[in-house]
Amino acid sequence: MSDPIQRDPVTPPKQTLPFWPHYVLSELIAWYVILGLLVTLSAILPAGLEDRANPLLTPEHVKPEWYFLSVYQFLKVAAVFSFLGSEAPRLLGIAIPGVLLAMLFFLPFLDRGTKKPARQRPVMLLVVAVTLIVLIALTLWGQYS
Amino acid sequence: MTQSTRAFPRRWFDATMDWFDERIALRQLIAASLHVVIPRRAHTYYLGGITLFLFASQAVTGILLSLYYQPTPESAYNSILYIMNQVNFGWLMRSVHAWGANLMIIFCVLHLLRVAVQGAYKKPREITWMVGMGLLFITLGFGFTGYLLPWDQRAFWATTVGTEIASAVPLVGEAIRDFLRAGADVSALTLSRFLGVHMLILPASLVGLLLVHLLIIHQQGLADPHATEEQ
Repeated sequence: MSDPIQRDPVTPPKQTLPFWPHYVLSELIAWYVILGLLVTLSAILPAGLEDRANPLLTPEHVKPEWYFLSVYQFLKVAAVFSFLGSEAPRLLGIAIPGVLLAMLFFLPFLDRGTKKPARQRPVMLLVVAVTLIVLIALTLWGQYS
Repeated sequence: MTQSTRAFPRRWFDATMDWFDERIALRQLIAASLHVVIPRRAHTYYLGGITLFLFASQAVTGILLSLYYQPTPESAYNSILYIMNQVNFGWLMRSVHAWGANLMIIFCVLHLLRVAVQGAYKKPREITWMVGMGLLFITLGFGFTGYLLPWDQRAFWATTVGTEIASAVPLVGEAIRDFLRAGADVSALTLSRFLGVHMLILPASLVGLLLVHLLIIHQQGLADPHATEEQ
């Protein structure tokens, strides 16, 4: 049989599972757990609502949502680049996250190694761990500053 | 004929399938979509699938919310109060939508981490990875545009500082900020713009990219994280 698509090195038949129904069933169980989680969280902590928006009244602690907080905090922290010139903090504050995001987007072309198992790629693991720690630290810093 | 000895529902089901089979080869389509094998060691932890489920949940709760939501600065806030206090299970729909938004971002990122750690982005799966990054950006865009819609203090000022980030981009930064806000400040125009992006542009983009993402996964099969060890 012709197989035009380049597949991974052949996996022995005994090491495969049928997608249907085995994988689908466990996936459905996972979905059911998540549905339960959603409803439980909603019952315990329903979505809140603050006062009606007032463009003339700036609240004390204005912050973006938590998933943008690390970038927001980095933009603030980038003030340390002021020794490079007056425009440097704003420029680097947005350029550095931008470049890192672009690198993440093109990751398959930057990391050309063929090894897949995690323990054979210590550098990649280190990069992932450091990135995570920095992002979480910036988020917490933004939250409590 | 064996058919006459079968129980009623079974016969009815087979007859329906036959009807479709004659016209669109339905059984073949189902077999090609579902009857595939996956590597026993492909530990996905169901993260991508859970993200997909959360998107479906967002679509259902979002459509229900849109039936009561009024997108103007004068009435948006009151329509949210109405959803929370008057509409049957309105509070549940809005709360599930809000929690689902956060969980969807969390599971998107967990899925990304799983793929990164297992090296599943490597050749031949570069396109799946980049399409997946696109899906993450769209998901973040959903969060950003959806946050403004309740039109409370938190929504208004989070959007004000959020769009302000764009102005840090050199040269075109302030133009981008004003484009996002549809003016110099967050206003009624911003609300219309964010709602249109949130309810039409982003869902259409996400569904389109998602189909590509899933089609490629189906074509290539799941990555076996230990495939190179035995070579």
